[in-house]
Order: sequence, then structure tokens, then C-alpha cells
Amino acid sequence: MRRLGRILIWFVVALLGACSLAKIALDRGESLNAMWFVIAAVCCYLVAYRLYSAFLAARLLALDDTRATPSERHDDGRDFVPTSKWVLFGHHFAAIAGPGPLVGPTLAAQFGYLPGTLWLIAGAAFAGCVQDFIILFCSIRRDGKSIGQMAREEVSKRSGFIAQIAVLAILVILLGVVALVVVNALKSSPWATFTLAMTIPIALLVGVYLRFVRPGRVLEGSLLGVALILFVVIAGQWVADSASWSRVFTLGGIPLAFALIVYAFAASALPVWLLLAPRDYLSAFIKAGAIFALAAGILYVRPHVLMPPLTRFIDGNGPVFAGKIFPFCFITIACGAISGFHSLISSGTTPKMILRESHARFIGYGAMLLESFVGVMAMVAACAMTPGVYFAINSPPSIVGATPDAAAATISGWGYPLTAQTMAGLAHAVGEQTLWNRAGGAPSLAVGMAQIFSNTIGGERLLSIWYHFAIMFEALFILTVLDAGTRVGRFMVQELGGRVWKPFGRTGWMPSILLSSAIIVGMWGYFLYQGVVDPLGGINSLWPLFGISNQLLAAVALVVATTILLKMGRTRWIWVTLLPTAWLVTITMTASYQKIFDANPRIGFLAYANALAAQIAAGKIPAAKLADTQRLIFNQRLDATVTAVLALMIIALILEALLQWYGILSRRSASTLQESPYVQTQWAEGYSGVAQGDD
Amino acid sequence: MGIALKNLRRFGRGFWRGVREWCGDAAYERYLRSSAVRREGCGQMSAQEFYVQQLDRRYSRPNRCC
Repeated sequence: MRRLGRILIWFVVALLGACSLAKIALDRGESLNAMWFVIAAVCCYLVAYRLYSAFLAARLLALDDTRATPSERHDDGRDFVPTSKWVLFGHHFAAIAGPGPLVGPTLAAQFGYLPGTLWLIAGAAFAGCVQDFIILFCSIRRDGKSIGQMAREEVSKRSGFIAQIAVLAILVILLGVVALVVVNALKSSPWATFTLAMTIPIALLVGVYLRFVRPGRVLEGSLLGVALILFVVIAGQWVADSASWSRVFTLGGIPLAFALIVYAFAASALPVWLLLAPRDYLSAFIKAGAIFALAAGILYVRPHVLMPPLTRFIDGNGPVFAGKIFPFCFITIACGAISGFHSLISSGTTPKMILRESHARFIGYGAMLLESFVGVMAMVAACAMTPGVYFAINSPPSIVGATPDAAAATISGWGYPLTAQTMAGLAHAVGEQTLWNRAGGAPSLAVGMAQIFSNTIGGERLLSIWYHFAIMFEALFILTVLDAGTRVGRFMVQELGGRVWKPFGRTGWMPSILLSSAIIVGMWGYFLYQGVVDPLGGINSLWPLFGISNQLLAAVALVVATTILLKMGRTRWIWVTLLPTAWLVTITMTASYQKIFDANPRIGFLAYANALAAQIAAGKIPAAKLADTQRLIFNQRLDATVTAVLALMIIALILEALLQWYGILSRRSASTLQESPYVQTQWAEGYSGVAQGDD
Repeated sequence: MGIALKNLRRFGRGFWRGVREWCGDAAYERYLRSSAVRREGCGQMSAQEFYVQQLDRRYSRPNRCC
């Protein structure tokens, strides 16, 4: 009877999810309440978790709680730390949730709310969560080995090398593109620039406090820092209102780009405790608070989604970025649906801290579902604003027109009514000089979030404070990705360089630190610079590149997972990883081909380079702009080369994997698993990693 | 009422402990309790040494995602 009741409850949840999805997909009314998105997403996640992840845990992976995990066998209180399920879930989620699930869906909203929302939900349930869960499991069974090590040991040495290069490639492109998002958010905004600049001395203060005054008292230090940051968000208004101070903090794209480059270099070379770690603490607290506040705000305000389900830009001529819905929607939304970068976290810290194998389901699969939900909320926030405003913020002047009146006329002509006065009024209300041409997703998301927050607390009066709080929240944790990523990149460069010249590999040697930091900063800094000077807005070329590199890493992770499953004899269930791999390879290869060879200059890098070269040949470019145009041509060819290299790496990886799989299935090659030997757990059944009286 | 209050206190204590563990506030206490330290005996690090070493290790590998 009880079983029947449970089945009935799950049937109702599934039915509710299906009805909500149908409402989202088929509604053609004036506007749709955001609650439909929340209900559809939550019901789908619940069903996916209850059924699909349970199937993966029981049938595919056969999780075994009698087996001692790495945290039990190597408990050293430093890397291997047995950690309770909920705390590790929080750790893992904080590590995987970056700017991607916020920015990607905001950009993909140009296709309308439907494709992105469906991809976020289905992609997470059948691909992203599967990847995170299985890689976490594989790493637990191998003492917490990284994805690169697993690729080398389980697939082949060449695959391990591809994984290593893919990680470096994704890191460089990721850092370049997220830095561009920050630049576009801070451009000509003294309030936002001041607030973000002030987070540096605040982080230094917290760093000194945690190092010398109260070592390791992270909560105290972070609370002090968060209070100061909230104060500078408000104080930013005084700076913006002061004519002289406002001038100091009003910066264009190029000075901001150089400021970020110098900052990241310093953060990478300075001791971690001084700047990088305290900023990360502050960012983690503000991120958790802002995401919770956004969810609460959406539930309280229940805004109406004003964007249509599908826009005219599914044809590939979108102003935010060019390219048809297939494959570009799936490249644009990487994090939130499936992100290769997560495999680095799932095979990094988390497997070393997990208490029981069965926790991998909740942490690996569950945390990714929550990240997907963050993506759905970002989609709601972006689509809850007037479509005309959304396109005005995210479109470059080369597409919509340089003056407000011309741009408003272009956007209205697309069927999204807008006046220049509306944009001027909105900019004034949020405390900005202008909101035109702020591509990158951060300002439009901040407007969406500010509208939701101000409808919850404070009304119109607090709109500007909420807007700058949202900008600070996005920029703060993008900067955390930037400095932490630069430091990790520095270690990778040192490791690679150390193979050629040994002293370079010494991580504590100052000349090597400075040189490797300069190399990694130079690499992503170049992408940032080319994005800032790109007349098409930078995001148009860099975000797809980032998506392609991220999905390449996801393909590496899924290939490793497939190989391990084959070696485990799970051939019957191999479609679990094989189907997402096939889908990822298809979208990545199609997007790569189009980005290189498409005849439309806004899509194809080579077509754009050729069009510019033709303009120079025809004498249409004035002498003063000749050097800039030639640099633009070089950048397009560079982007085409990078895309081609990424695509070739995918092809090489797939060929390598196919050979390996053929060998395993035909029993021509040994299919020995490189698992750590089985050791029975000594922990009692109810052990939660917490000692008695540990309050 | 008494039971509800007791449950609330238990939840509050658990929540506080979870937050401290999540943000790293309780990392040193956890280190002192680890079996490695119990094995090594008096060779343990001070709070300051532990804090700096732990950060150096944590930020030398990918720990923040896109």
C-alpha cells in the first residue's frame, strides 16, 4: 500500500512537470508566469534524480558503501578529509557554479526562452549530471586521480596529453571571455568600477586578518569583508555623483582590460593568503547569498516572462551573437547543461573528501541539477525584462546603429518596441550613464535581477543599489575565477616548461613565477584585448570559442567514462555516456566548422577576415584605420586556427577512443582497470564524518 | 513545545557546524582530529602554518569553475 502511495506521488510529480513543460512550450499568450519555469524545472529534476540517478547508482556503477573511500584510507586532515554529505555538496556546488550558468543562458535568451530552457533541463539530466557523477565515481575508485591522469591510464597516453592541452586551452579562452564580460559590465560605469576596485583593499585587509590576527577564522574575516563590500556598493553612488571622483573611475574598455591583466598577474604572483584566498572567501559568501536571494525573489515576485518562446533570431542573424539555434544554442549554454570544466572538480578535491560511495549520487548528480536550476533562474531574469531592452543592452552598435535613436529604430523594426527615452530612463534609474552596447550578459542579467529584487524590497528607489549589487556579485566572482584560474594556469605553464628546462618547473622560484604568470596572463590577455577592440562586440567570436573548448573537455571526460564503463563490463548500459558524447561531438564539430568556414562574416572567422581584406584591397579603409583592420584580420585568422586545433583534438580523441573500445570489445587488448584495491570500510554505518561534541 | 525547541536547537547547531565546515573555519580543528596527526603525535603544524599551507595547496589546482 505504501509502495503504491509512493508511486502515485511520483506519478503526480511527473505529470505536473510534463504539464508545466507543455505550458512553457505551447503557450503563445501575451506573457507567461515564471512559476511555470520553476515548477517544470523542479519536477523534472526530482524525477531525474529519483529515477535516472538511482538507475546509474545501482545498475551502472553499483556504488558500494562497504568499500573504504580515499578520505578514509588516506585521512591526513589536509587533502583527504572525510566530510559530511551536505557540507561536501556545498563545497562541490560552490566550486562548479561560476559565471557560466548565469551568462550563457542570458546570451542564449536571444533565441527566445524555450530552446535554452529545454536544453538546460534535458542537458543537465542526461549529460551534465551524468558526466559529473560518473567522473566523480571513477576518481573515488582511483584515490582521487585527476581527469588527465585517468585519461592517460585508462584510455591512452595520447588521450592524457589531449586532456592536458584541452584544460590549458579552456582555461586561456575562459579567462579571456569572462574578463571581457567584466570589462563590458564596468565600461563607463564609475559606480561599478569603484565598487569592484574597492574589493581589492578589502580582500587584502581580510587576508592580513586571517593570516596574522586570527589565523584561519574564515567566518569572522568573511563577515567583516562582506559588510565592507556592501558598504562600498552603497558608497559607489556617492562616487558616481561626485564630478571629480566620477571622472577617476570612468574608464573605457582598453584601460579596464589592462587593469584586469595587471590585477590577475599580481594575484597570481603574490602569496595566496594575501589576495586570492580572501577574495575567494568573500566571493563564495556573496555568491551563495545572491543565488539564494534570486531564487527567493523569483518565487516572491513571480515575474512574467516577456520574451517570446522563439524569436526571429533562430535563423542565425542574432545581434548578440550570430549563428543558428543548432548548434549555437548548445554551445552558448555549456555550464548549466554540461560543462567539461566540472570534470576537473569532480576529479579534484571532491573525491578526496567524500565519505561514502553512495554520496557520489547526491553530490555529483545533485549539485549539477542545482547548477542547472541557477541557469533556469538566469534565463527567467533575462527574459523577464522587455525584449527591446534586452536587445538594446546586448547588441553592438555595428549591428543596431551608433546613436540611441537609430538603435531604438532598428530594434523596434525587429518587432520589439523600444524608444531611446526608455533606455535613458532605465540607465538613470539604475545609476548608469548608458546601458547601450553592454554585451556580455552581465549588465542585462543585473537589470533583470535588480527588477526582481526591487520588486521584493525597496521598489524603484532601490533599483540602482540592487543593480550595482548584482554587478558587483557577478564581477566579484568572475574576478575570483580570473585570479584562481591564472594561478592554476601558471602552474600548468611551469609544469610544461619544466619538461624543457628543469629550473622553470620549480613552483617557488621567483623568476619562474613571474615569467609563467606573464605567459598565462599574456595568452588570455590577448583574447581579452581582441574582444575589447572587436567591432562586432567580442562576445560574438569569443563565447562560441569558449563553448567549443568547454565541450571538448566534456567530450574528453565522457570518453574516459565510456572506456572505464566498457572495462567494467557495462556494455549493455554504454549508451548512458555514449549518447551524450555523440551529441557533444556533433554540436562541437558543427559549430567549429561553421565558425571557421561559414560564408556569413558574422559567423565564419575566415569570411570576416576575407571581407576585411577585400575592403583594404578596394581602398575602402582609411589610412588611419589600416593597422587596426590588419590586426582584426590577424585576430580572425588566429581564432580560426584555435578553433581548428580544438576540432582536430576532438577528432584525434575520438579515433583514439574508437581504437581502444574496439580492442576492449574484441578482447584484442587488455581491459585492466586501474582501480585502487578494495578495502573494507572501518566506519560504522551511521558515521557522518563529525566527531562527538564538534560544535 | 519542548521537543520542537530541542529539534530547532539541534538543527541550529548542525547548520552552524555545516557552515563552519563549508567555509573552512573548522579546517584546523578537523586537521588536529585527523588520524594522520594522531599518528604523528607532536609533529603537528600551528594554526598559522596550517592555514598558509592549506591555501597554497588548494589554489594550485582547479578549484573554481566557469
